Amino acid sequence: MNILLHRYDITQEDDFHALPDFNRKATLQHVDKVYKAEITNIIRLTEMEKLFHFRILDPKERDTFSFLPGQFVMLEVPGYGEVPISISGSPTNKGYVELCIRKAGVVTSMLHRAGRGARVGIRGPFGTHFPMGKMKGSDILLIAGGLGLAPLRAPIFHVTENRSDYRNVHIMYGTKDPSQLLFDYQYKQWERIDGVNLSVIVERADDTWKGPVGLITKLMDGMKIVGDETYAIVCGPPVMFKFVCNQLGKMGVPMHRMFVSLERRMHCGMGKCCRCNIGSTYTCVDGPVFDYWSVMNLKEAI
Amino acid sequence: MSAKTLTQADLASLVGDLVAAGTRVVAPSRTGVGPLQHLDYREIKKADEMTLDAGLPKRSIKELFFPPTEVLFRWKQKKNDFELQEVETKFQKTVVIGARPCDAAAPEIVDRLMNWDYKDELWNGRREATTIVALACDGQDKSCFCTAVGLGPDSTKGADVLLVPVKGGYHAEILTAKGEALVKDFGKRFGEAKSADEAGKFRETARAKVEGNLKVDPKPIRTWLDGHFEDKYWGEIALRCHGCGACASVCPTCHCFDIVDEPEGIYEGARRRNWDTCQTGKFTLHGSGHNPRGTQNMRFRQRVTHKFAIYPRKFEEILCTGCGRCARACPGGMDLLEILSDIGQMAGGAA
Repeated sequence: MNILLHRYDITQEDDFHALPDFNRKATLQHVDKVYKAEITNIIRLTEMEKLFHFRILDPKERDTFSFLPGQFVMLEVPGYGEVPISISGSPTNKGYVELCIRKAGVVTSMLHRAGRGARVGIRGPFGTHFPMGKMKGSDILLIAGGLGLAPLRAPIFHVTENRSDYRNVHIMYGTKDPSQLLFDYQYKQWERIDGVNLSVIVERADDTWKGPVGLITKLMDGMKIVGDETYAIVCGPPVMFKFVCNQLGKMGVPMHRMFVSLERRMHCGMGKCCRCNIGSTYTCVDGPVFDYWSVMNLKEAI
Repeated sequence: MSAKTLTQADLASLVGDLVAAGTRVVAPSRTGVGPLQHLDYREIKKADEMTLDAGLPKRSIKELFFPPTEVLFRWKQKKNDFELQEVETKFQKTVVIGARPCDAAAPEIVDRLMNWDYKDELWNGRREATTIVALACDGQDKSCFCTAVGLGPDSTKGADVLLVPVKGGYHAEILTAKGEALVKDFGKRFGEAKSADEAGKFRETARAKVEGNLKVDPKPIRTWLDGHFEDKYWGEIALRCHGCGACASVCPTCHCFDIVDEPEGIYEGARRRNWDTCQTGKFTLHGSGHNPRGTQNMRFRQRVTHKFAIYPRKFEEILCTGCGRCARACPGGMDLLEILSDIGQMAGGAA
């Protein structure tokens, strides 16, 4: 009977016996170097968010700048300050950085007033990334809530550009209401890719909305997945992690196959200023990407 | 390690020699007038500005290595473009005379953080240019607890030379290469060591005086902190705390900072690194309005846990030298000694 009822045994996983490693280090490259960049394009996504395309000015520097999905940069607007922003663009788009930015504070409000051609500084990339290599050959769940689609867009690009490396891909996205949907012009493009399922849900529908209404976990109801052959990436507001990851757990996905990107206030990006501390973990160096098992072991993480 | 004797007169001449050689000399000195008068570390030009027998200065020597505000670079805006200007930082050769052992130990503890991943050039540059001549303490007051964190009023940690007061002068222990260099450069000021016994007695008396203030063992405290993050003790700990951050600004080991662009006029300014503290609400506030450390209790728990559990786990050092300044400076009466003693009791250690 035991053989017939395939029961997933977490202890058989290779990395089960390894202790959670809170001191993994990101591969930092030239973190104190400022790349001068120019705004080449601005795309209005919603009332609060804009997508900025930046091009690094120096062609030589353009070649040296590369990043992995999930990493972030420090964006500096001279005279206003520096903010950590997840990269939303494709890693293959060399020398160009796409950042989706919500108007939230001094720096970002200033940036929303800037036009094409304005120059800024970019430092980085910083932090850990989603382990896209490890995920090869598995089903992928990409789940985002609200502004979480901004960091998730980089792995979406990676998965769609390396389509043959992955099995089924489910992209799930939810927001409060239809006016807050980001990148709505790209849904069709993603949806039409072979083996990619896209579902979008809103909490409050308006007259034009024809899709499903409810919380993001509703999209996962009745979904059939094989836990040990699936990886999940979850990006969104802190309150979302708990619900989505619990649901994923019920569906059989082990905690160390769920990856989340934590948000923290950051200032130096070099593991010094203590602002992003979660216990002895410096989010800017050891994060922002953690597996959910590690997050559960970090106090005050969410 | 070797020992020498330094008389009062020779110490005064040493200050003169150092100043004449173009070295910056920093020592405890009375400053301010009337009710504002207090003892502080500051640059002195003459030996008589130095006050070595009046106890612990108000602030620590942290700011010699990590100034409260410092310019990282300057920027100029031009229409759509900007220009960055490097700021040249000179690391002036400095000798600190009369640093209390709790202050001398602090930079060595913070060295670990400043060098663990990215190496902080500004910190290291100043550290290398500075020689610390520490002065054994006779125990300041009831807020001292250096012996409870593994140091002591005669601790040599972080010091290049330790002076122990004896009759007519000081018994000097030369501890590091930097200390040796100082003795070599100004050899005529140092005499043969002859009062090791008297110095030993001074040290014992001072130790006994401070040990009476707080008797706890940091090891069980660390274990307790690791396992009691959600303890109800944290629920009421910070009722008296105003969240002003005075404790962090007088702390010799607190090292949190903020990086801000400060305008100087309309089109130019500087990016500065300023001291900051985890005790303010905005310290961890997210752009979305969510705050992972939303209450003052959580923020104070962070302060205690960071010093006695998190930092030791990562860097094998307690992020506290027991100077007691936080307890003296607090306007609300938060007392780290009381907290450590409470935790020590809960942890089952001696209290």
